Amino acid sequence: MAVVELPEWAALAPVLILAGTALALFVFDSINPRSTNRTVLAGTAAIGSLVALGVAVWFTVAGVGASGLEGFGAIELFDGQLVVDQMALYFMIIVAVVTALVSVASYDYMEGHTYQAEYYSLVMLAATGMATMAAANSLVTILIALELASLPSYALVAILKDNRGSIEAGLKYFLIGALSSAIFVYGISLVYGATGYLQLDAIATQLETGAADGEFAYGGLLGLGILMLIGGFAFKTASVPFHFWAPEAYEGAPAPIAAFLSSASKAAGFVIAFRVFTTAFPLDATSALIGVDWTLAFVILAIVTMTVGNFAAATQQNVKRMLAYSSIGHAGYALIGLAGLGAGSELVMGAAMMHLLVYGFMNTGAFLFVALAEHWGVGRTFEDYNGLGQRAPVACFALVIFMFSLAGIPPLGGFWSKYFLFTGAIEAGLLVVAAALIVNSALSLYYYSRLVKAVWFEEPPAARDSLGQPTGLYAAIVFAAVMTVVLLPGFGPVVETALDAAAAMIA
Amino acid sequence: MEGVFDFAPAIAVFPLVAFVIALAFGKHLPKKGAIPGILATGGSLLLSALMLVAVSSGEVYHETLYEWAAGDATSATGVEGIAFTFGILIDPLAALMLVIVSLVAFLVHVFSLGYMNAEGETGLPRYYAGLGLFTFSMLAFVYADNLLMAFMFFELVGLCSFLLIGFWFRTKSAPSAAKKAFLVTRFGDYFFLIGVVAIAATFGTLQFAGDESFVAAAQTAIDDGGTLFGFDAQTWVTITGLLVLGGVLGKSAQFPLHTWLPDAMEGPTTVSALIHAATMVAAGVYLVARMFGYYALSPTTLAIIAFVGGFTALFAATMGVVKDDIKQVLAYSTISQYGYMMLGLGVGGYVAGVFHLMNHAFFKALLFLGAGSVIVLMHHEQDMWKMGGLKDKAPVTYYTFLAGALALAGIIPFSGFWSKDEILYDAFIVGLEEPVIMAAYAMGLAAVFFTGFYTFRMVFLTFHGEPRSEAAEDPHPVGWSIKAPLIVLGVLAVVAGAANLAPVYKLTGLELTFLESWLDGEYGAIEGLTYGAYGELLAYETGVVGTEQLTVMIAAGLSLLLAFSGAGVAWKLYNVPEPVVYRDRLGRVGDVIEANYYQDEYQVWLAEGVTLPLARAADRFDQTAIDGAVDGVSTASLFGSDRLKRIQTGIVTNYAALLVTGFIVLLLVLGYAGGWFL
Amino acid sequence: MTVGIEYYVLLSMLLFCIGLFGILTRRNALMFLMSVELMVNAANINLIAFAFYHGNLTGQVLALFVMALAAAEVAIGLGIILVLYRNFRDVDVTVPTTMRW
Repeated sequence: MAVVELPEWAALAPVLILAGTALALFVFDSINPRSTNRTVLAGTAAIGSLVALGVAVWFTVAGVGASGLEGFGAIELFDGQLVVDQMALYFMIIVAVVTALVSVASYDYMEGHTYQAEYYSLVMLAATGMATMAAANSLVTILIALELASLPSYALVAILKDNRGSIEAGLKYFLIGALSSAIFVYGISLVYGATGYLQLDAIATQLETGAADGEFAYGGLLGLGILMLIGGFAFKTASVPFHFWAPEAYEGAPAPIAAFLSSASKAAGFVIAFRVFTTAFPLDATSALIGVDWTLAFVILAIVTMTVGNFAAATQQNVKRMLAYSSIGHAGYALIGLAGLGAGSELVMGAAMMHLLVYGFMNTGAFLFVALAEHWGVGRTFEDYNGLGQRAPVACFALVIFMFSLAGIPPLGGFWSKYFLFTGAIEAGLLVVAAALIVNSALSLYYYSRLVKAVWFEEPPAARDSLGQPTGLYAAIVFAAVMTVVLLPGFGPVVETALDAAAAMIA
Repeated sequence: MEGVFDFAPAIAVFPLVAFVIALAFGKHLPKKGAIPGILATGGSLLLSALMLVAVSSGEVYHETLYEWAAGDATSATGVEGIAFTFGILIDPLAALMLVIVSLVAFLVHVFSLGYMNAEGETGLPRYYAGLGLFTFSMLAFVYADNLLMAFMFFELVGLCSFLLIGFWFRTKSAPSAAKKAFLVTRFGDYFFLIGVVAIAATFGTLQFAGDESFVAAAQTAIDDGGTLFGFDAQTWVTITGLLVLGGVLGKSAQFPLHTWLPDAMEGPTTVSALIHAATMVAAGVYLVARMFGYYALSPTTLAIIAFVGGFTALFAATMGVVKDDIKQVLAYSTISQYGYMMLGLGVGGYVAGVFHLMNHAFFKALLFLGAGSVIVLMHHEQDMWKMGGLKDKAPVTYYTFLAGALALAGIIPFSGFWSKDEILYDAFIVGLEEPVIMAAYAMGLAAVFFTGFYTFRMVFLTFHGEPRSEAAEDPHPVGWSIKAPLIVLGVLAVVAGAANLAPVYKLTGLELTFLESWLDGEYGAIEGLTYGAYGELLAYETGVVGTEQLTVMIAAGLSLLLAFSGAGVAWKLYNVPEPVVYRDRLGRVGDVIEANYYQDEYQVWLAEGVTLPLARAADRFDQTAIDGAVDGVSTASLFGSDRLKRIQTGIVTNYAALLVTGFIVLLLVLGYAGGWFL
Repeated sequence: MTVGIEYYVLLSMLLFCIGLFGILTRRNALMFLMSVELMVNAANINLIAFAFYHGNLTGQVLALFVMALAAAEVAIGLGIILVLYRNFRDVDVTVPTTMRW
């Protein structure tokens, strides 16, 4: 196969392509910052992310990172600072897909913005950071990749410089982000202090020998450090109690950016959490040293996060803010993947990975619908959306798909991933978590269907101009909707890939 | 005869095909679906007869055809896994019943040509479709090889009776009668269903026959002396047997679930003939015969069956005495006759019960078709007081009806005498040892008198005397399609008794007990499903008065004497040119009987006075408590949501504080769990 | 004479808490930024001290990276504070509350 002849660093191709696109756009920006050639800029960003997506899919199919006869095994680069395995590729796919969707949608949404090139450049830089997070295998690379994803995100949220909402959102995002990353860095320093290593597998080895010898003296430091790391991940994934930035940031940010942050950034946050906690902190050794099973923290976080997210979403009037809270709720669902690791089964983590993929489509689609509504200028509340179905049936039908998939209605992709999470939680013996999942899903149906009702069943306000059909937004929305549905028959391979990746991590 | 059993499924499938044809194309067919129906039932009759011949040559058929569900539950007796199947079991009993059912169904189809088509009824495709489905269900029920399959077709039989009783759905009474029939029998079927589940859960099988059958499993369980579900094995068998019996009581119209049957007269008379003779009502008793081995294990159940049967026989017979509608009289006679069958089976007289089932099928079909003929003659008048004098004007109807009446009344040598006498004899000899059975026997014996009376009251009022209405003076002619079935059944009513002349055997030693040998497996049967095998399971003692011959003489003499006296009283009162109504002389008793012992009233009261308020209370509970709880949950959720989102104050410093607080709480929880502060 | 590692940890924790205190009490965005810097530098103290303690250079290298990242963060932060001032005429972080609940 062709891959064999490529040098090892070529395994990073998806990341490199994203980075290259970002730099190309940056160069363009340096030369002609006021260019409004949206076609070229959005096209470059979209093509770059699509190529990265294609390469990542190709690698996955070709078996890069897969163990066994067919695969090439996990590829370690730069002395194991980065690693390309199935999970890395899986999350690169999610990031690349969302980036492509966001780029295409931004073509219409950012119409009229003065500085176009910097916007796309920042998007691609953030995507590079997220893709690197997927491959990071040491606390150093994790920190750098995380900051590479975060810093452009702050700027992107605040990019509408004359929009007070956007600025406020950017400020809050940045301040909470700065606090969280300070905590995260401090956590890294404590873990380093306790073990003397920053590379994940070296930490694991150290902990295992320490647990075996009984000579490990820094249990307390390690415990506090782990907890602070959890804080950093919780920020990135918008989990309680580090979620406070999320509602405002998503509400104030340009809608495509909200989609980007709530899907790709969240997925990237989860991939480092998965990798750190499966690789660096082996459950038995760690709990022997710090005296407590770290899955307990995730059990608590999962329940609290999904409850807070869904309950707060239930009575929102602003659609975008409702989606923001629902995004927090979904972070809670995905946290089950970590909470259930105690049972040693790959099913539950695989289920979380599946959920993140499906979520990448349905949530991005939902936010892009909001982008479409903002593009139309119909307003932001549920009432403002009344009767849109009569004017824009295609987009509104796609919205129905997104909403029902988010709620987990059976034939759609969202149901299957949630179902696997549920069975995974049951299998791991987390009955309380499974119950919380059910209760919250039931509640979520309430507010998701409220939107469907508004769009299809309510009478539209008296006078409404005819609505345009922006090509880019429509294309992105329809594609996301199709994928949300197509993932249903295509769920077999997804399940297989996700479970393989999860199994490889746990083994 | 090797491959003949391969055609067994066709016996039931033929009428099903007829059902589909009648439903789909009935409107365009010349006789509106009658022809396919006749052909199908004729084919079924032919095949059934072939089965009978095959079984008589020593072969039996027991085959599972299709497994539609299987589970790996472990039963209470430790059987692992359970399979739900469709299968066919053709043994002497099933073969006999197949012939009876398909014969009666065939004749009813033929008769319908004259009764329905010639009378210009509308909706005939629906009628023939109903008949086809009815026949299909009953035939499939008859040769079902397991209890669940039997239950399914049992229910289907009930559905068909609902459809056919309500055939004239534009009248007020027919739909109501149909609903009543459906609801009352369903009430019994609930118990049946629970019984099926209980048996499946207990023994892990629902097969009727073979080593894997629940009958065999129950016997083993009783022999082992263990407990099942906290009960002694024998008690548990009794409980499950009684549950299944619930369905039997409903379908076979036994007290107290008999109330639907008289109302079922609202259907076409042909349907009544089918229901009473061969399908619906027969299904209940047939089920008892089918799983007789199971009941034989439980003396308590048998005693209950016998007592209910005896009581119903007398109870229904008294009600038949005062009815004026010819079909009503026949309806109560049906209830009464099935009471006899239950009595027979209940006292262990398996052969006697089945014998009476067969004879009754013939003579009751005959009587109903005869009544149908009378109704045609009378221009659809059913009140006997408006009839009279039809004897000379419709001789075929009269003589065949008379044959049926003689059989029903149990006059020697007509078929009914032989079987009824055998039942009473079996009850008598057991009753000599068991007081409860003696009471049942006494009631059955008393019923003989009333049977003779109401039967001949009906005959005399209808056919004798002077015509009492214009219609009776100038009857409508009837065609061959009405006469032919009557003649066939009339002959059978006379001679069918010859199948088992038990008293003759006991008195003279002549081997004229063909049916007993048949059911005892002398020609071939499935092991464990024979009269002999059942006899070994029974716990009854029998006694005799003097010698066996003397006992036979006493029993037969008593019942004959009563039958003759009943008939005689009727003769005296009603075989006069101008009979008068004597009912008033019965006074209060008459009122009670006329009102059917207020059975309907108390059941309606149960429904309206007890069930309805209960349902209302449950509804109110649902509306207030349950819905209130649900609404409360939603209100509380939304309220909680409103509070919860207030923590998002919009001030970023608060967020930082909350974030740190949350982090510290998490730290404290984990630290507490990990013992960091100790 | 060497100072025990625990004193370094105590120092860094003290610094971290001072930074945290600043974040919780100060409303000026610039002070907020400085407080974050304090916290990050607390981590740096740890890293360097532990690098010395463990005898490898990993921690020191990471500390350099962290400083670079902190500088980048401040750059973004100052940019945001600039537009904040332009829109709200204030650098008080508690002023922008248009979005809540």
